[in-house]
Amino acid sequence: MADKLIEVQNATFGYGGRPVVRVEHLELSTSKCLGIFGPNGSGKTTLVRGITGLLSPMSGHVIHATRSTRQPLRIGYLPQHRNIELHWPMTALDAASLAISARRWFGWIGPRVKDVLAMMNRLGIDHLASRLFASLSGGQQQRVLLSGALAGDPTVLVLDEPTEGLDVRSTQELIDLLRQFVAEGLAMMIISHEADDLVQVSGQIAWLHPAQQQGEPSRVEIVSPEALGEAILKAARRVG
Amino acid sequence: MKMRVSCIYILAVLLVICVCTLSLAAPAQTTQSTQQVDQSTQDMLRELSGVSASQPATMPSASAEQSSSGGFEDESATAIQWKRLIGLFQFMLLTAAAVGVAGAVLGLFVLLRREALVALAIPQVVAIGAAIGMRLGWENKLPPALGVAMIALVYFALSRRRSAGNWIVPAFYVAGLCLSFLIIANHGQDVEDLQRLFTGVDVAVDAKTALTSVPVLLVVALLCALLWRRWLLLAQAPAAAELAGLRPTRWDTLFLLLLTIVILLGTNALGVVMVLSMLFLPAATVLPWTRRLPSAIVAGMVVSLIFLAAGFYFSNAMRWPLSQSVGGIGFAVLIISQLTSQLKK
Repeated sequence: MADKLIEVQNATFGYGGRPVVRVEHLELSTSKCLGIFGPNGSGKTTLVRGITGLLSPMSGHVIHATRSTRQPLRIGYLPQHRNIELHWPMTALDAASLAISARRWFGWIGPRVKDVLAMMNRLGIDHLASRLFASLSGGQQQRVLLSGALAGDPTVLVLDEPTEGLDVRSTQELIDLLRQFVAEGLAMMIISHEADDLVQVSGQIAWLHPAQQQGEPSRVEIVSPEALGEAILKAARRVG
Repeated sequence: MKMRVSCIYILAVLLVICVCTLSLAAPAQTTQSTQQVDQSTQDMLRELSGVSASQPATMPSASAEQSSSGGFEDESATAIQWKRLIGLFQFMLLTAAAVGVAGAVLGLFVLLRREALVALAIPQVVAIGAAIGMRLGWENKLPPALGVAMIALVYFALSRRRSAGNWIVPAFYVAGLCLSFLIIANHGQDVEDLQRLFTGVDVAVDAKTALTSVPVLLVVALLCALLWRRWLLLAQAPAAAELAGLRPTRWDTLFLLLLTIVILLGTNALGVVMVLSMLFLPAATVLPWTRRLPSAIVAGMVVSLIFLAAGFYFSNAMRWPLSQSVGGIGFAVLIISQLTSQLKK
C-alpha cells in the first residue's frame, strides 16, 4: 500500500503578495509519479517550490507526512542537463556526486562516493566515471545526473524537464528507467511540457491552466494521463 | 583554423621576445624610470644594507656589475645578489606568495562563477577606504578600507538577492576610480600614494603587514579550496542545494567575503596590479589543462608561485617594476597556454 508523503489542501502560492498558482487538493505517495504540465509562465516551478516546502503557501496547507516523526522528507532534484555549466572542470563522477555533497559538511562526500559509483553501475554508466562531463552526450549526461540524484536515497525525486534536448532513443531509455524506480517505491514529480513523456510515466497529472485575467493565479486541475492525452489530441485536431 | 591559431601563437611568442629584447637594449632608460618610481624602496634598502640611494632599489649594486650586453650580471655576482635580494625582500615575497596562493584559488572560482567584474570593482572600492584614511591622516589605512569594502559587499549581496540591475558593479568600479582621487584632491603626497596603490610599481612590505596578512590569506585560500564541491553544487544545481536545506544567497555572500578579504589584504600590501594579476592569470592559465577542480586548484597555486618567481627575477634582472613583471609574464604564459590548448583540441 502506498504511503502518503505530501498533501496540499486549498493552497495558493506566490511571491511578494502576488498569487501565482492555486491548488485545491493534491497528493503524492510512494510508488507514484505526479506529472506537472502547463505552458511556459503558468507557474510550474512555483507549484513545485510550494509542494516541496521551499515556498510557504499564502493560504492553505502543505503537509509533509514525515514531519510528525521529525524526519524531514529527503527531496532529491534532477536538474536539466542543459542547465549544467560545462566550462567547469569536472568528471562524470564529480557531477554525479553533486546531490550527495549538498547534504554533507563542506560538501565532502568521503566514503559515500561508493554509493554514487554503485548507482552509476546500476544505470550502466560506471565506465564513464572518469570521463569529462562536458564530453558526454546529452543522454549520458542526464543518466549521470540521475544516478547522482538517486544515490542520495531520496524519498521524493523532482525532475525538471528530464527529456528536454534528448533524442528519441535516450528519451525512451530514461522513461523506462524512471518507471522502474517508481515501481520500486520512489515518489516522483516531473515538470515537463512534453505531454507524451508525462503520459508514459505519471499516475496523475497536475495540469496548470493560466488565468484569463491578470492578477489571478493559475488553476491546477488533476487529471489522469489518458484524459491529458485525449485533451491534447482534441486540441491538435482543432488546430489541424 | 589550426594554421590561424599557429600564426597567433608564433606572434605571441615573438611579441614576448620583442619586449624582452627592447628592455635589454635600453637599460639606461629603464634604470632611470626605476630610480624615479622606486624611491621609497630605495630608502628601505639604504636603511637595511647601506647601499647608495642613487642605485636602483631592486638591484642594490647592479650598475657596477652590469654587463654591456644587457641588464644581467656576471655569474658569481648574481648568486650573491639573489641571496641578498631575497633576504631584503623576504616579507614582500612572502606576502606576494600568499596573495598568489589565495588569488589562484579564489580566482579560479571567480572565473568559473563569472564574477570577474566584481573582482575588478572591489579594489577600486578598497581605494575609496584607503583615500579616506589618507585624508584623515591615519597611519593604518586598513580599517577604513575594510569598512568601505564591507559596505560595498553588503550592497552587492543585497542587490544580487533582489536581482537588481547589472549597473551596480560597473558603477562601483567607476565610483571607486573617481571618488578615491576626489577625496584626496590637492593633497600631493596622498595622490602619489594612491597612484602607487593602483599601479603597484613601488612594492615594499614591512614585517608587521606580512605577519598580519599572510596567515589570513592562507586560511582564506584553504577554506575556499576545501569548499570546492559546495561552489560546484551552487553553480550547477542551486535548486538541489536549496532542497537540501542550504541557502545559496548566504553561500554567495561567503564567497564574496572571502574574495573581498584577499583583495583587501593584497591591495593594502602589494597594490591593485599584483592582486588582479594573481587572481586572474594563474587560474586562466591552468583551466584549459585540468579535468577536475582539485587539480586546477593545485596547478593554479603552483603557477602563481612560478609567475612570482619569474616576475621577481625579471624585475631585478631587467629593472622592471615587480607587479607589472608578474602580470606581463603571466599574461604571456596565459596566451601561450590558451593557444596551445586550442591547438591540442
